[in-house]
Amino acid sequence: MLLPENTKCECGHQNAVGTVLCETCGKPIVQEIIDSNEPLEMRYDGVARRSQKANPDILDKIWNFFSSVKIAIYLIIATFVGAMFGTIFPQASTFINNFDSSVYYEETYGTVGKIYYMLGLHNTYNSWWFITLLVMIGTSLVICSIDRVLPLYRALNKQQIRKHHSFLTRQKVTYSTVIEGNAEQWVQNYGQALKKKGYKVHIDGTALLAEKNRFSRWGPYINHIGLILVLLALLARGIPGWNVDAYVKVADGDTVPVSGTNYYVKSEGFKMEFYDNAELPESLQNTGRVKNFETLAVLYECETNCNDDFEKPQLTEVLRHTILINDPLRYEDLKLHQFDYDLTPRINAVSPMIINKETGESFGPFYLPMVDPELNYEVGPYKIQLIDKYMDFSINGEGKPVTLSREPNAPAFIFNIQGPNLKESGEVFMYFPLQKDKVRFSQNTINRELTDKLDIKVDGMENVSFSEATTYLNIRIDKAVKFLWIGAIISMIGLLLGTYWQHRRIWLRIDEDTLTLGAHTTKNWYGMRADTSYALGKVGIELDAKSLDNGGNKG
Amino acid sequence: MNLLDFSSSIFIVAFFLYCFAFIFYCIAVSGKKWSNRDPKEHEARWSNIAFITSTSGLIAHIIFFTTRWIGGGQAPVSNMYEFITFLGMAIMVAYTIIHFMYRKPLLGMFALPLTIIIVAYASVFPQEVQPLIPALQSIWLKIHVTMAATGEAFFAVGFAAGLMYLLRVVDFSDTSKKGRKAQRWVEFTLISILVICGFIVASFGFKGAGYIAQFEQENVSVSALGEVTTKVETVEYTMPPIFKPYNSTAQYVEPFLGMKEALLETPSWFDGVNAGRKLNTVVWSIIVGLLMYAIIRLIIRKPLGALIHPMLDGIDPDDLDEISYRAIAIGFPIFTLGGLIFAMIWAEIAWGRFWAWDPKEVWALITWLFYSAYLHFRLSRGWHGKPSAWLAVIGFVIVLFTLVGVNLLISGMHSYAGVN
Repeated sequence: MLLPENTKCECGHQNAVGTVLCETCGKPIVQEIIDSNEPLEMRYDGVARRSQKANPDILDKIWNFFSSVKIAIYLIIATFVGAMFGTIFPQASTFINNFDSSVYYEETYGTVGKIYYMLGLHNTYNSWWFITLLVMIGTSLVICSIDRVLPLYRALNKQQIRKHHSFLTRQKVTYSTVIEGNAEQWVQNYGQALKKKGYKVHIDGTALLAEKNRFSRWGPYINHIGLILVLLALLARGIPGWNVDAYVKVADGDTVPVSGTNYYVKSEGFKMEFYDNAELPESLQNTGRVKNFETLAVLYECETNCNDDFEKPQLTEVLRHTILINDPLRYEDLKLHQFDYDLTPRINAVSPMIINKETGESFGPFYLPMVDPELNYEVGPYKIQLIDKYMDFSINGEGKPVTLSREPNAPAFIFNIQGPNLKESGEVFMYFPLQKDKVRFSQNTINRELTDKLDIKVDGMENVSFSEATTYLNIRIDKAVKFLWIGAIISMIGLLLGTYWQHRRIWLRIDEDTLTLGAHTTKNWYGMRADTSYALGKVGIELDAKSLDNGGNKG
Repeated sequence: MNLLDFSSSIFIVAFFLYCFAFIFYCIAVSGKKWSNRDPKEHEARWSNIAFITSTSGLIAHIIFFTTRWIGGGQAPVSNMYEFITFLGMAIMVAYTIIHFMYRKPLLGMFALPLTIIIVAYASVFPQEVQPLIPALQSIWLKIHVTMAATGEAFFAVGFAAGLMYLLRVVDFSDTSKKGRKAQRWVEFTLISILVICGFIVASFGFKGAGYIAQFEQENVSVSALGEVTTKVETVEYTMPPIFKPYNSTAQYVEPFLGMKEALLETPSWFDGVNAGRKLNTVVWSIIVGLLMYAIIRLIIRKPLGALIHPMLDGIDPDDLDEISYRAIAIGFPIFTLGGLIFAMIWAEIAWGRFWAWDPKEVWALITWLFYSAYLHFRLSRGWHGKPSAWLAVIGFVIVLFTLVGVNLLISGMHSYAGVN
């Protein structure tokens, strides 16, 4: 079909190689099509596409490959079949911490799991072949569109009104009859009837072209532009700083830096609410169904001393927001999402008294925060010096004290205390603020005879400060997301134009007293036939719309 | 009578109206061959009656939806029961729209049984109004779910018309290899529909009989720190256990046809909440569905397709082909918007990531890619008639898998939708 051939039509128009129907009069010029009796293939009005070139070179061949709709469909099929594999077992990316995929799949799913892992399907959507498929679809979208939209634009922009007979009789909707009276008047009347149906009518003596909703032809291309933008937005997330995804843990009352940014976030409290039984149906009674949880958050911008270990950062409040699951904190590109919570209380500070057990006198209280406590205290006659502290006290295998973490789960303080009836240089006292730790680690045994001389203890709960809960926030910056929305909107507009409207055209010519009519639409032939027969009815030709069908109730 | 009780009653009214409408469509089609009447007039008259009945059913259904919304204080699209009933309603809306476009009443003969099955399927799930958990407290729940379901409803109508096309054009007297293959696949599709009916029958049958079995299941999980924890949970079955839960012991098994204990154990890799019970339910559905098929075959003594095929005589297959395609072309943009774009917007608001490759999301994408392949096949490759109808049927299978199968077999973010 791509052999050098005579592409000059009998109407005198010189067509490009690859043209199927003459660009001017619509007469078929490919021998194969001339010989057949099937309705004409009207795709892109039969004009040559960019890819239909004689003697293609290597670049042309690549272009031709991607310009094929058949290839595009195969790519789509390959993509969704590939995507299916990724849903068989959970993807590795859904596990957040301490996950070893090399053993997980085999342990959980046996041999099948091992094969799944070895094929790399545990990471389907980030695999080279899946990304390649997406890139190929993107390429196909670009090339298919360019290959077709320009020729189509040319074809639709300069349409000839009087078409060749064989063009008209080989449309999927066609009609021929002998009319009486003035041919030009008949054409005018028919045109009037079509105008009422919203057609733009062009008349050339005894020939007519009526056209409606041409814009819908651009729908698929607009849609594809939108999809290309969506794919580009996905790729753009790879640009450094465009896609931040981190987690931050904030206990009630704490202010912590938002990693990767210049912001700090404070939680003024995490709150959780449950449904009352009165609000719940029978089957959910006493199930503790959560009604709401929220973090009262304050966002600060750091002015100076940011992330400095020694100096306090200078913060300016920029925003207060109650973060709900469906209502994140948003400030410029930054978003803080409610991710998780922990209702274990955390001790922040105690204000204990120091008691002289021999006299029964007590002094204080003195303020002892878990974070950055003072090193020296003077309480009554006592001088207290902080020697060491353990936030998560434990004894290791060698019998030595260690801290398991920086979280104040089991805080312990070691003081050197000078005062009445104590050695001049002071004596060492170990203090566990939490009663459970005091018992567990036997504070009294550790402190030996000093236990009888003095004690440090908190007098009442009002002298202990707790964070009741800890909230976990997801820090997100996704700068590409706005391009994604723009792409989605463009794509949607194109999709609507292309599917909810159809480009309909009716051509006719009268030679002597013989009327020949052909009509074409991109879809909805039912409506096309209805329009054609409606207008025929208006000029006095009543017929069943279905009889216009030339074996082409298609598309 | 409070509003929610009224709502439940009117739902039953809608269900019966749909059933009657279906019967009337059958009369419209099969009655043409009865003597003493003009076939055209008979068809016009009865299909008119059927359409009025089905529209009354739809009105009752809409009243159910609105009164449940007002009575429950939240849009009734938040659990499986509400979602499936909404899907049934959306299919009826889609069918009614297509009906007004094409005025081919006999489409109802296929759209209505589809709605009836879906509505009956919904009734298997717990029907009470459940207050929303925080993750679902969003306007996007309503927008995303209703829009996606509407798109899927048009795909369902495309499926109904496609299946009808196949039953109309597949020649059941053809004994060639190709002909037999087509017959077998049509029959397979019909059997699959019976299996879904089998699920409904089994659920109601055993529920009606009050069947109960209980198992204690040990769930071993390894925490991030490597600590092994064992949790013992009681799993309750409402159908006789062919498959018991993985790693479980029977507490109480009501004997059924001499079956005193579970026959098999669910494999460990069957994932998700209550995997054992789900597998057991699926197996029962298949058994009951096949049993129903066997009984039908014994009565009619020929393939089910061969029974329906002659009823569709006189329907223009080209019209069915066009209707199937148009329904899908109308549904596609709605599904794109509701199933993908609105879903991404909500995910972006709720979780900060518009796309997370969650299984449900992936399957929505697969559905979308499948239908876009369908449209390209049709528009650019000229696939009409049979291949196109088969794609419409397969497409709806993918839709059903996305809606139900994913929740049944794969756990993920959407697992809160609460499948049995």
